[in-house]
Amino acid sequence: MIPHAPILAILIPLFAAFLMPVVGIFARWKGLKRAREWFAIAAVLVEFAIVVSMLPAVWGGQVLVYQLGGWQPPWGINLAIDGLNLLVALIVAGIGTLVMIYSFVYMERDTGLDQYYTLFLLILAGMMGVALTGDIFNLYVFFEIMCISSYALVAFRRNWQSIEASIKYMIVSSLGTSFILLGVALLYGLAGSLNIADLAQKLGPVASSAVIVPLALFVTGFGIKIAMVPLHMWLPDAYQAAPSAVAALFSGATATVGIYAMMRVVYTLFGALAIGIMFATLGLVTMVLGAFMALVQRDLKRLLAYSCISQIGYILLGIGLGTTLGIQGGLFHLFNNAIYKTMLFMIVGAIIYRVGTSNMDELGGLWKNMPVTGTLFVVGALAISGVPPFNGFASKWTIYVAGIEAGQPVFTIIALITSALTLAYFLKALNSIFLGQRPAHLKDVKETPRSMLLPIILLAVLCVVFGVLPQLGIDLVRPAQEALMNSSGYISAVLGGA
Amino acid sequence: MVYEPVLFGPGFWGPIVATAALLLIAAVTWLILICGRRITKAQPSDQKMQTYACGEVLEAEEVHADSEQFFSPIRRVFKPFYRYVRPGHTGILSTYLFWVVVGLIIILVAIAVVLG
Repeated sequence: MIPHAPILAILIPLFAAFLMPVVGIFARWKGLKRAREWFAIAAVLVEFAIVVSMLPAVWGGQVLVYQLGGWQPPWGINLAIDGLNLLVALIVAGIGTLVMIYSFVYMERDTGLDQYYTLFLLILAGMMGVALTGDIFNLYVFFEIMCISSYALVAFRRNWQSIEASIKYMIVSSLGTSFILLGVALLYGLAGSLNIADLAQKLGPVASSAVIVPLALFVTGFGIKIAMVPLHMWLPDAYQAAPSAVAALFSGATATVGIYAMMRVVYTLFGALAIGIMFATLGLVTMVLGAFMALVQRDLKRLLAYSCISQIGYILLGIGLGTTLGIQGGLFHLFNNAIYKTMLFMIVGAIIYRVGTSNMDELGGLWKNMPVTGTLFVVGALAISGVPPFNGFASKWTIYVAGIEAGQPVFTIIALITSALTLAYFLKALNSIFLGQRPAHLKDVKETPRSMLLPIILLAVLCVVFGVLPQLGIDLVRPAQEALMNSSGYISAVLGGA
Repeated sequence: MVYEPVLFGPGFWGPIVATAALLLIAAVTWLILICGRRITKAQPSDQKMQTYACGEVLEAEEVHADSEQFFSPIRRVFKPFYRYVRPGHTGILSTYLFWVVVGLIIILVAIAVVLG
């Protein structure tokens, strides 16, 4: 492991974000083209390497506890890394790297890229902080950093639609973060601590009626971020208005971090495994509503945004079932969702880059012009719809089996029907964009640039690999599942002899 | 009448075997397509490339399926659902905030029921 890896994983993107304007000025002064892009890519690659360096220790069963300033928890702030948050950190760093490479060409026509890369690195630092911290107040602070950067990124294009979507997102999300802050305050009042492990230990003997309100505030706050129905309405507006690279990052990484924060607080901090049935039920409603709304969309980005909501439902269902298989399925789906959702948003971005619109009524017959992009879209669409041999099938199948094993066959049937609906709206998208008659003005459209195709192809390969070798995916998420179900191990590792 | 249980066993899913089978089927399909391809040389003309509908010549843009009409039967079947759910997604901020409050109440009640 790289020395000081836990804190470096947060500091590298944070410092790179603050250095970015200087790098931009220096690059313009010296006439160095693309210097800031290479700097940003280098920063995320280093971050990815740092996260990967922690894998052997954590997958070997250790909980890495990094004490800031040498203060013993619960007195000092600490970073605590187990299988669960390392999986999330891996997703954040991996998706961040690929989206950064994608942005290299995708964002080249935009102005103000110093700000774009600054915000991008800042959101990565925020996400990494949420994932790795062992302190609930720090989690809130990093969550705010992530949210504030995301409001600015949604409004990055500075047109009417993006500014409106950003303001709506900001108001709704601020309400959510206020709930989280209120929850933190109530917890501090109850237990007199801010360390997650210490809080979990101290809340054990507290009467369950005392934790209802803070728990509800946390679930609602994080529920807004992950767009759980009925807290989801900001998401389609924000994703549609944001640049596709940003939407790809949001759908792949930010949603993952939101789910992680909810699971960490509910299962580790409160030990409230009993409310899993509420997550499973809300997950079902989320998946069904998302799918039905996606079915009637005209804009591909908006369709994908509703699809995001629907897939979050699957994850909540799996994790909410509370069984070993259910949690494995939910976490495997979380991992897979990050892969194909990022990929699909990158493909929309490629279409917008070449054609200028994502309105499906203005597209058609693009397979002739963009065969590679079309093939990749088919891979993504089949993967997300749960069609074998792609990764979505493996994780959805695990959730279906978990539903039956948990004595909830109705949940499985609804999930299966929703999967069919998912395939239906992706077939509609495929037909509207790549098949059928090609409008005359699209005759000269070119294939997606290679540097934009590279991350998409990498993600498509992952879709196939984790579909053909599902055991690889299950092995990848098993340490996370074990960590989620073993909160006492986390508590004793963090507090040690304290 | 006594029914005898029909046991199917634990079932089998081998992703590598399934993928190999899918690839094999795709290869066979491709071979069939190759066998059935045009032998004569294509002779496109402007007249042949036009799209006719009841004697009318249509432009490519006009024959493109409207995405709103895709799966319209499903929309008709679930009309009550769309009638009540779609107005909530029209972009009005106060509606969004209203649903956040509703969500908080639902979650609060659900947690109180489960933990209480």
